[in-house]
Amino acid sequence: MNLPERPITILIAALGGEGGGVLADWIIAAATKQNYPVQSTSIPGVAQRTGATTYYIELFPAKFADLGGKRPVLALTPSPSNVDVMVASELIEAGRAMQNGFVSPDRTTLIASTHRVYTTLEKMHMGDGRIDGDRIIKAAETLAKRNVLFDMQAIAQDSGTVISAVLFGALAGSGALPLSRADCEAAVHGGGRGVDASLKGFDLGYKHAAGELKAAAPEAVKRWMDHPSERVKDSFPIETHRILEEGVARLVDYQDTRYATQYLDRLKPIAKLDRERGGQALGCMLTNETGRFLALWMSYEDVIRVADVKTRKSRFERVRGDVMAKPGEPVHIVEYLKPGVDEVAAMLPTSLANRLVRWTDKRGLTHKLNKGMYIKTTSIVGFGLLRGLAALRPVRRMTSRWQAEQTLIDRWLGEVQAAARRDLQLALEIGLCGRLIKGYGDTYKRGRGNFLRILDHLVTGTQFTTDRDRALAIKSAREAALADPEGRKLEGNLSTHGVTPLPPEAKPIKFFRKKPGSEERRPA
Amino acid sequence: MERSFKEEVKSLRLTTGDVFTGEGILAVTKALLQSGVSYVGGYQGAPVSHLVDVLTDAKDLLDELGVHLETNASEAAAAAMLGASINYPIRGAVAWKSTVGTNVASDALANLASSGVTGGALIVIGEDYGEGSSIMQERSHAFAMKSQIWLLDPRPNLPTIVDMVEKGFELSEASSTPVMLELRIRACHVHGQFHAKSNRAPAISRNAGLENPTFDYGRIVLPPSSYVQEKHKVEIRWPAAVKFVQDNKLNEMFSGSLDEIGVICQGGMYNVVIRSLQQLSLADAFGESKVPIYCLNVTYPLISTEIQQFCTGKKAVLVVEEGQPNFIEDAILAALRRGDINGARIYGKDVLPMAGEYTGEVVLSGMSKFIERSAPRGVDIASIAKKRDALLAPKLQAGELFGGPLPTRPPGFCVGCPERPVFSAMKLIERDTGKFHMSADIGCHLFSTLPPFNIGNTVLGYGLGLASNAAIDPLFAKRTVTIMGDGGFWHNGLTSGIANSVFNKSDGILVIMNNGYTSATGAQNIPSSPHEPEAKMTGMSIEAALKGIGVNWIKRVTTYHVGEMSKTLKDAMSSSYNGLKVVIAESECQLEKQRRLRPVVSAALKAGNRVVRTRFGVDEDVCSGDHSCIRLSGCPSLTIKDSSDPLKVDPVAHVNNACVGCGLCGEVAHAAILCPSFFRAEIVQNPTWWDNLKWRLRATVIGWMQPA
Repeated sequence: MNLPERPITILIAALGGEGGGVLADWIIAAATKQNYPVQSTSIPGVAQRTGATTYYIELFPAKFADLGGKRPVLALTPSPSNVDVMVASELIEAGRAMQNGFVSPDRTTLIASTHRVYTTLEKMHMGDGRIDGDRIIKAAETLAKRNVLFDMQAIAQDSGTVISAVLFGALAGSGALPLSRADCEAAVHGGGRGVDASLKGFDLGYKHAAGELKAAAPEAVKRWMDHPSERVKDSFPIETHRILEEGVARLVDYQDTRYATQYLDRLKPIAKLDRERGGQALGCMLTNETGRFLALWMSYEDVIRVADVKTRKSRFERVRGDVMAKPGEPVHIVEYLKPGVDEVAAMLPTSLANRLVRWTDKRGLTHKLNKGMYIKTTSIVGFGLLRGLAALRPVRRMTSRWQAEQTLIDRWLGEVQAAARRDLQLALEIGLCGRLIKGYGDTYKRGRGNFLRILDHLVTGTQFTTDRDRALAIKSAREAALADPEGRKLEGNLSTHGVTPLPPEAKPIKFFRKKPGSEERRPA
Repeated sequence: MERSFKEEVKSLRLTTGDVFTGEGILAVTKALLQSGVSYVGGYQGAPVSHLVDVLTDAKDLLDELGVHLETNASEAAAAAMLGASINYPIRGAVAWKSTVGTNVASDALANLASSGVTGGALIVIGEDYGEGSSIMQERSHAFAMKSQIWLLDPRPNLPTIVDMVEKGFELSEASSTPVMLELRIRACHVHGQFHAKSNRAPAISRNAGLENPTFDYGRIVLPPSSYVQEKHKVEIRWPAAVKFVQDNKLNEMFSGSLDEIGVICQGGMYNVVIRSLQQLSLADAFGESKVPIYCLNVTYPLISTEIQQFCTGKKAVLVVEEGQPNFIEDAILAALRRGDINGARIYGKDVLPMAGEYTGEVVLSGMSKFIERSAPRGVDIASIAKKRDALLAPKLQAGELFGGPLPTRPPGFCVGCPERPVFSAMKLIERDTGKFHMSADIGCHLFSTLPPFNIGNTVLGYGLGLASNAAIDPLFAKRTVTIMGDGGFWHNGLTSGIANSVFNKSDGILVIMNNGYTSATGAQNIPSSPHEPEAKMTGMSIEAALKGIGVNWIKRVTTYHVGEMSKTLKDAMSSSYNGLKVVIAESECQLEKQRRLRPVVSAALKAGNRVVRTRFGVDEDVCSGDHSCIRLSGCPSLTIKDSSDPLKVDPVAHVNNACVGCGLCGEVAHAAILCPSFFRAEIVQNPTWWDNLKWRLRATVIGWMQPA
């Protein structure tokens, strides 16, 4: 008989701990049972610890009996354009396989899960450091002979199994291997633990790959409140309705109707300028983005807000879902809170707050009095305490934090408005700086500090030849502010415009060193 | 241990006629038993850990055969154990990760090689080179050359590997020289089959011990014996080895129709050579190659006459030799020159890269260049170049489509790892102390040098963290920190680091990661492991050892207590105490802990017992998407997701279902005063009637006060 010219090659890209090795074992077991020559290799070692790793399998599609004593030479490493089936347990890993030349249009079936496991560098960004996954899916459409792409992680989770089972099902369902469904299922059976859940995941993976099931459309992530507002409808352009209505609903929920009215009053002149200067051609970006960050800023998270959202019924239900509690299982929630002088001062009227902070500053106590608290929101006492704090909402307008925020908001909006009269792009860049105001404690102070540096030195202050130059400078400074937590990138950026950089923060710890030749100590 | 080898142990009992199916390194283990070894030892490290691990699980079998298994304290100890084969006709084998392990072992190896052996001595080295490696990229070849130890590099298939183990013992005995069997990472983990033979019970064993010692001054490495030994090496042992290799045809010659050219490759490179020839249509799937191949299953010593014979009449020969320097290529050039065989142009590191792993792509490119340049009759050179370009095209195209590199995904601390909090604490104190020099060590804790921590300035070797800080400490204006793992502590850190430091009155700060195992290599037990089997309970403790050696400033801190850890480190930095300050950072390796607890918990759940599951979470309504928490933790289960808030643009932090509830994220949020987003959820599984009553009562009262 004519023997096949080459082995079927399968490369599996997985993350350490995902069961890539189990998948390789299943393929080996199924192929061995059918008497195909098969070989797998892997590079476990330290890559197993959460890093990207690969498993490589070669299966010769003729049974031992037909080989007449000949034995194929099977390779231990994959070669470019020499991979028949590329299996990836995650989207970036599929991309990596393409980048290494392991997906080719003449022969590769790409079987990959479309979910993302973000890398540390993507996660640690101060804003949004994620890479665009669509780029990878588009590349797959160009580079692979055939694509089997769907969210296998979601299916694995629903089936109570791990992704390797779904991948194996998809591999079997793709028909890329000379192994029947029954052969593969038998291999899963032989694997021991968690067989039923694995088979369930396998079944769903198989059906998706074989085209018997279509992936469900992803659920919408954003929870819009969708509260219609007469005033928004009547006096703002249609492109802005969704965001502004959300803003209105947010502020009613946060404070009261009066506050929501103030929100629209603040936006009105900006929306007017946006319209007059042809902003509608840009989808009213200025109104939308300023409206977005204004609503977020006006609903700044103080103790009252945090206590309020933590005690809502919807939140209790979300936590139950997040931690995958079964019906009937009590779920106790313990909050990690650590309020200090800042939080207390924020709740006092301005004059009292100033006196308190002056007093603690003088004694170096401002950052030392934070009290770590574990509050059980699901207990009657804990819940009552937080509800009590939430009930302070009516006095919020009298707090020092309120005063400070409103003053800065008005200053910011004033600059946006002034800029909008000259150049919409410049106004938009100033509006987008609202993104820097977020967080708590040091994060909040850092963001606010960065915001002020830009406002003081680039929005006003420094001279620029054109408004466009100014807009570009603001944009790049804003990105620099989100690039490192120590603020050195922002300072470096500002210094290119002639702004003297702030010195790095002083470090208070004293080190003891011994003098050469003596046992005595002195502070260094 | 990370893995149980119960199933694999069965295959160690296979007898003649059975077919062994499994991993390369387990095939080696079986081959050792087939060769009648009396003793086996080693030190763990990928890719050879499994050799000792599987034997640890095979106690009954070893007892029957009388084989002694020693889990050595270091590679030096393992190499020294081979001393049993110097005077006595005893076969023995040891295994370690190379080149790092060979570095550690080289003192004993050099002595062993000088003395020479009576019984076969085999050193199985896992060559940790190329993709998946965790060490400096070097070759073990140089060790073989400098000490005169024979080096086997078999073709990476199980029958050849097993055969070379058996032949390796014979070679060792025939030439009185220890033998190294070099296996690359993938060869150690290659899954295949071979025809097994029955195990051989050794003549001298734990069941049949030696009676009388042999004294032979000629075996002692001291003048004048040492001079005699060197002569013996080159005059007797070398020729004996060459003869054995030739007589037994350990190297293989494969003929081919394109006899103007040829390829000489290391055995380990054979499969990738064949694959590259296949891709260029110069070989078939069964290894029938048009290009003749001389495959070196023995890469040291080289057999000059075989090389000369292979190259005679050829105009071009490619040497495929992975790693640098190119010892083999140079030796081949010398052999040909000495034999006055000048017709063959030798290609090697000119068409192949000098450094780096010889992957499919690398060898394919090199091979096609070789064919193009040597232009053998009967090969269409243009079509070869075209084929290669077509094969590499999709890679180039992907590069264009992505427009830039994808983010890398290096290994990191596991979910719930007890070592991560120590670096969170260091990151936190940097705010007060500024950045400080940290001398790192080998182990999982070296992941601290990667994002998000980027802590650790140097790494010099296993257990050598403190020793490597010896000149840093006195020359720095402020105190510096050193890390050492408990594995490194017992490997040599106790003496080379701590004893040295106390003796020299150093003023450093040492953090010992006491997680109970050598976790990076597969969680093997060490003297201070908390859950040793009863037979191994020794009561050896790190703290007792420190006190015994004269360390007076010792603090034990649970790693997960980030606040306390920060405070302790700050105290150490500002203390007026003059001398070594040691912080023992304690908490069990989470991988091992979960492995221990998982079956217990699932049994309890099945039995209907009350089990409280702890998980952490982030309130996405409260999270502002700054990700400070991630920059201070890096836990894989602390990730990000799109905010469901339609106004927020930045993704929010999110704890996924991999969370084991270690609590670090909450501790960090507390210690760093980050935000109020973190919560701990306690899920009561199989609640009792009392749980349910309390729960219903609370829910009712809370319900009265609760908004939607």
